[in-house]
Amino acid sequence: MFPFLKFAATRAVLAITTLILVSFIVFSLMELVPGDCAERYVAFKASQGQVITAADVDAERVRLGLDHPYIERWGKWIINAFQGEFGDSCIQRLNISRLLGQKYWISLGLCLSALALAYLIAIPVGILAATSKNAVLNNSLRLVSYLGLALPNFLLALMIMLFSTIYFGDSLTGLFSKEFRDAAWSYDRVIDFLKHAWLPVFILGWSATAFAIQTVRALMSDEVDKLYVTAAAARGVSGRRLMMRYPARHALSPIINSLGFDLNRIFNELPVVALIMTLTEAGSLLIEALARSNDQQLAGAIIFLLTASIVGINFLTDIILALTDPRVRRSIVG
Amino acid sequence: MTDAAATSAKDQKLKEAYFTASQGQLIWQRFKKNKSALIGAWVLVILILSGLFAPFLTPYDATIAGRDKEYLNGAPQIPHFCDENGCSLRPFVYTQERTRSMATNFRWVTETKTGLEDRRYLEFFSEGMPYKLFGMNFSTHLFGVDKGMIHIFGTDSTGKDIYSRTLTAINTSLAVGTIGVMIAFVMALVIGGVAGYYGGWIDSTLQMITDTVRTIPSIPLFMALAAFVPDEWSAEMRFFFISLVLGMINWPTLARRIRTHLLSERNQEYVLAAQLCGASAKHIIRRHLLPSFTSYIIVDLVISFPYMVLSETALSFIGLGLKDPVNSLGVMLQNVTSADVLLNYQWYFIPVIFFIVLVLAFVFVGDGLRDAADPYSDSKK
Repeated sequence: MFPFLKFAATRAVLAITTLILVSFIVFSLMELVPGDCAERYVAFKASQGQVITAADVDAERVRLGLDHPYIERWGKWIINAFQGEFGDSCIQRLNISRLLGQKYWISLGLCLSALALAYLIAIPVGILAATSKNAVLNNSLRLVSYLGLALPNFLLALMIMLFSTIYFGDSLTGLFSKEFRDAAWSYDRVIDFLKHAWLPVFILGWSATAFAIQTVRALMSDEVDKLYVTAAAARGVSGRRLMMRYPARHALSPIINSLGFDLNRIFNELPVVALIMTLTEAGSLLIEALARSNDQQLAGAIIFLLTASIVGINFLTDIILALTDPRVRRSIVG
Repeated sequence: MTDAAATSAKDQKLKEAYFTASQGQLIWQRFKKNKSALIGAWVLVILILSGLFAPFLTPYDATIAGRDKEYLNGAPQIPHFCDENGCSLRPFVYTQERTRSMATNFRWVTETKTGLEDRRYLEFFSEGMPYKLFGMNFSTHLFGVDKGMIHIFGTDSTGKDIYSRTLTAINTSLAVGTIGVMIAFVMALVIGGVAGYYGGWIDSTLQMITDTVRTIPSIPLFMALAAFVPDEWSAEMRFFFISLVLGMINWPTLARRIRTHLLSERNQEYVLAAQLCGASAKHIIRRHLLPSFTSYIIVDLVISFPYMVLSETALSFIGLGLKDPVNSLGVMLQNVTSADVLLNYQWYFIPVIFFIVLVLAFVFVGDGLRDAADPYSDSKK
């Protein structure tokens, strides 16, 4: 048990180091945006009719702690960030955690469901494609996976909107019906949410599914011809039992490893898809923060949270792999 | 007997040709066998050429200068040969006129005149708006009509010709992609090269940084970087900044590959042999290491190209990338989510087809090149 704990601890340290590096990049970006929070606050006051002097701006800087050196403020930011506290948004003058709140969890939920959907489809289909000699099936799957790249999710979303508007007269956008938009969570609201959420999940999962099928197929076809499979077949195991118990187990561990990067890809699509489908969650909040109002506090917080979820997933998959894959377990225990 | 000798001599020659063939010749031989990649390559060449010669191939200027005031949000005009007034050997389109009168309730309505005298005949190599191509001035376009204007893909809300915009947009996307790939390539070569050549703690540190940049979702990061662009920047400055950003974010994957390759090649026997012969580090890198993986690098560049194009499209689409008057697919799609466009002006989506074909062609060529550049691809099967 001890070597495993050591392994887990090393991974945890690595994950935290990555996060600290990420926070440094994000924080530097926030700093590089022209103008700081103090100027924004004061500009707001000026727009309310107050007379503002340069001294007021400096006083505001002191109040916000912006007069401290860069490294010190970064340290403070990261310590707060690890506690889920990102300070106030300069533009909206609201607490960021409250602003993000459940929106972030909804986005994460959508992305994780998209990821789950991708693999629910990809694993059986990929295994089937690798083991069957059917040329039509293989070629059509190749086409789908090429389209997964060439028709990115946001174009797919646009196409679906185009067709649904023409044929159903409804563009199928949004996450809630009008009456539930600001209501508290209730049974009806959950049902309403699920009724709307399937399409964004499908669209977000589209490219991921295409990629995943490709990966599963490639990994699986590398394994099916190996000697241990022949040996098992010689012992009388056959059909689905043979495939699932021997090559599939080998082929699937690298996939667990790459889940983090798949999630990364889905996050990439999130903001643009969110904009098209008018989903009111973190993705569109990010666009709002960047494109419309230049709200660097909020944007930084969102990017940091997204990356933190990816790092978290990577950490989890490392641990899961160490627990489930005897080969990895062996290499840790030595 | 002589026959057998002749064939064996021929075989010998073929074998010799095979063994002395350069890397490039071998790759080309294998690439030619791959049908889908070859088709992709042809499509790609045609699209690149049509992007480069866009000003000649398109009848009108893609910016606001080439707008058709008489035909806003106009549907595609498909040239006919025949109608109820009889046939003509020369294809023609009808004249469209915007009118407003009592009959239309004083709203502007586009009216199609189908009379014989309202036919606009298609002309090839017609004289039109002057344009610049490779620094020279021309005014001949591939096609045009004898009077008025022709819009085979329709027009947008300001009357700009969508066909002209599409071809120009291909040009823009290729340019953004090329600059982005080049920047990413230089960064990857330096960082991956340093990491791979020195190894040790320099390698570990650089790997840590590379992996970190890879974990951050790139489009949100693009968005954060693109938000720096002040509104008052000119279209050209924006264009270069966006290409720069694309390159700055896409280097980690390439850097990682270059590093891995260098690390594995550095310990090969031929490098050792060269070292034992007294070759300098510079000579080894230039004459042995670089040629050993130029083909891989070219393949990687082709593969990463469509990602650049797509990222640019996504960025421009949400309004953080390129802006009018620069044409790119993202710019052209900016306003299509409105119900008006979805219901009434579906021809706004025609450029999408071109871009799917462009990206698909790149993917096919990239995949074909990757298979062709892999010396073990034959033995795998």
